[in-house]
Amino acid sequence: MKKFLCVLFSLSVFACTLIGFTGCKEKNEKIQIELGMWPEANLTQDIAMYKYWESQFEEAYPQYDIIAAPYTYNLQAFVSDAASGVLPTVFQTWMTEPPSLIENGYIRDITDQLEQLGWLDKLDEGLAANLTVNNRVYGVPRDGYAMGLMINKKIFEEIGIFYDSDGDGVTDIVDEEGNPLYPTTFQEIYEVSQIVCEYTEAKGIAILSSNQNGGWQFSNIAWNFGAVLQEKNANGKWVSHLNSQACIDALEWIQMMKNEDLIAPGVTLPYSDWYKLIGTRAVAMCFAGSDAISMPVTNYNFNKDDLVLVPMPGDGVHQAYSLSGGTPFVFSKDATDEQVLGALRFLEYMGRSPVVSDVARAAIERGHQTAQSKGMPIVPTIKPWKSHDYLAMIEEIEPQYINVNMEYYQEFFDTIDQMRRVEEPNYCQKMYEELDRAIQAVLENPATANPTALLNTANNNFTNKYLNELNK
Amino acid sequence: MLPSLVLFSFFVWVPLLSNISLSLYTTKGFEKIQFSGLENYLAVFKDDLFVGALLNTCEYAFWSVIIGFLAPVIMAIILNEIVHFKGFFRVCAYLPNMVPGIAAAILWTFLFDPSAGSMVNSIIVALGKEPSLLIDDSDLSIILIIIAMTWKGAGATMLIYLASLQSIDSTYYEAARLDGANFMQRLRYVTIPHLLPNISTLFVLQIISVFQVFYEPMVMLDGGTDASISLMLLSYNYAFKDSKSGYSAATGVILAAIIIAFTLLYNFVQKKLSPQSE
Repeated sequence: MKKFLCVLFSLSVFACTLIGFTGCKEKNEKIQIELGMWPEANLTQDIAMYKYWESQFEEAYPQYDIIAAPYTYNLQAFVSDAASGVLPTVFQTWMTEPPSLIENGYIRDITDQLEQLGWLDKLDEGLAANLTVNNRVYGVPRDGYAMGLMINKKIFEEIGIFYDSDGDGVTDIVDEEGNPLYPTTFQEIYEVSQIVCEYTEAKGIAILSSNQNGGWQFSNIAWNFGAVLQEKNANGKWVSHLNSQACIDALEWIQMMKNEDLIAPGVTLPYSDWYKLIGTRAVAMCFAGSDAISMPVTNYNFNKDDLVLVPMPGDGVHQAYSLSGGTPFVFSKDATDEQVLGALRFLEYMGRSPVVSDVARAAIERGHQTAQSKGMPIVPTIKPWKSHDYLAMIEEIEPQYINVNMEYYQEFFDTIDQMRRVEEPNYCQKMYEELDRAIQAVLENPATANPTALLNTANNNFTNKYLNELNK
Repeated sequence: MLPSLVLFSFFVWVPLLSNISLSLYTTKGFEKIQFSGLENYLAVFKDDLFVGALLNTCEYAFWSVIIGFLAPVIMAIILNEIVHFKGFFRVCAYLPNMVPGIAAAILWTFLFDPSAGSMVNSIIVALGKEPSLLIDDSDLSIILIIIAMTWKGAGATMLIYLASLQSIDSTYYEAARLDGANFMQRLRYVTIPHLLPNISTLFVLQIISVFQVFYEPMVMLDGGTDASISLMLLSYNYAFKDSKSGYSAATGVILAAIIIAFTLLYNFVQKKLSPQSE
């Protein structure tokens, strides 16, 4: 009898739990939108901003119920979250992720909803490329970034590279004739790094090398040595050239830098290291995205006026590119059409849509004010939408809030449209992973590593494991 | 009986059988798409990463025997000899066990950081040597991970040995002393024979647990490197980084098979060597 009661009790608890969950859904007849981009609990200023947007939105669209569901995308947790159906309606990811998320059916097509709102032809083509498969769109870009060379101005002043060239009492990054004082080629980075290491305790530059970040940065370095990493051959098959002479030159440049101890120590440097190293004066330079300028400031109290962002260097022969990506908003496979529409409409209230309105204007201004109050550096953005009225609105608002000396960023933003280049089209993260291994091998044994052999291995692995599958 | 059977089936047998079943299918995410027989197993065996991970896992087991297996035995013997503050030292030895695993791994990551200013490198530099790559050195990474794991886990194992040591009848030691046995002889003829049953059981448990090493290389090497990746970490990467849950399940089954085979072999050898079987 006792056992029977135990079993009965267990079953009752199980049944009640199920009923409880079902009841939750039926209780609220509004369309629920779970916002994964809602800020984490410790970001109180951001939460206040989101709550304001939420109240405005729910007033204008009473049929929707906005639910805060802070969600940080990471590879480790994502698959289980998606498989167990706990993804929020809309969330942020990285620009390289959508192809695999689409392939595995984790995110949904939102083309019809974008068309319904009249947003489809307003997307920036470069950013939209990674969100589009077979002419169907699976997300919208939140913002864009392009890679540049970030410099610790103080260190460059100390070693005499930056000085006040025009006599106005402010350090300049160009000379009297307007020529760059900062490194514009990899050879110049090498030379400047030697000076940095000789006269300061810092290293010249940080080269990331783990969690696909090494490959991510390396692909930009290799492009600027003239590399073509992936292309379709005459037979319409995808081929990779990770072992081309240009790639070898790029890896040999890293090897030379490491051999002379000009690079930050370590073999497996993750993403968080670049802002730690530059924010703590451990390196003078690093490659970083334009959307992440605030990282050393917010994480290491680095003085925002001591940062400089200049265009990516080249090899002096080939066209220099700036790897461009961004953060997209994507939508859970389980989201309904109505939820997607609601989430897209909410973007207007965040100032992240192409809609030009008082609401959007106020949201953009509020976003800037919040960033200002947090002491974050505010610089021009790479716009995710291309419609003229949207661009005009941004151009009107943005300059009012810029709180850095634009002299230190102007060259970067002036050249970015010509330099921007989107990431490689196929299995990008896997390609980065293979390149990570080659970089790690060079960093570990700079004196003996053979870049040609390492890149041959990387190319063979990438071709055999991924491109051959794709070409089947 | 019934509730425990239900719980056991739900939490143990269902996942176990689901995993075996998943390993026999092509997958999309965690969804089974089509029965593919042993294809996942063949693909995993052909993957260089799998071979590397298998060798690394054996290397983990080897170093754990060298470093991690002896440490608790030695600690227990020393603690057993201590006369004063025995309780204090026992607590101290057990304390690392109470540190959460991830926190312990992060702590050791800081100590083994390759930068010249890290604690271990500071000592190396103070001794007049060049800073080492430490955890980033592919020849050292597994050894250093085992050191971190030993620091974390040796205390608990030591307590088992200590309990066993304290159960040895003191008359054996007295008799040995009367016969003129020194410390090493008492250790050889009294202590170790009494510890042997525990040593052999804990040896198997140690190997089984080290074959499942997972979060240490993940945390200490930011996701693991080719030189430190273990079978468990590879299985995890297949599932959560590559979205190849079939490969992941196959790796899990292979790992289980290795552990079962090892345990059976051990039991077989144990039976052959034990005096009762003669």
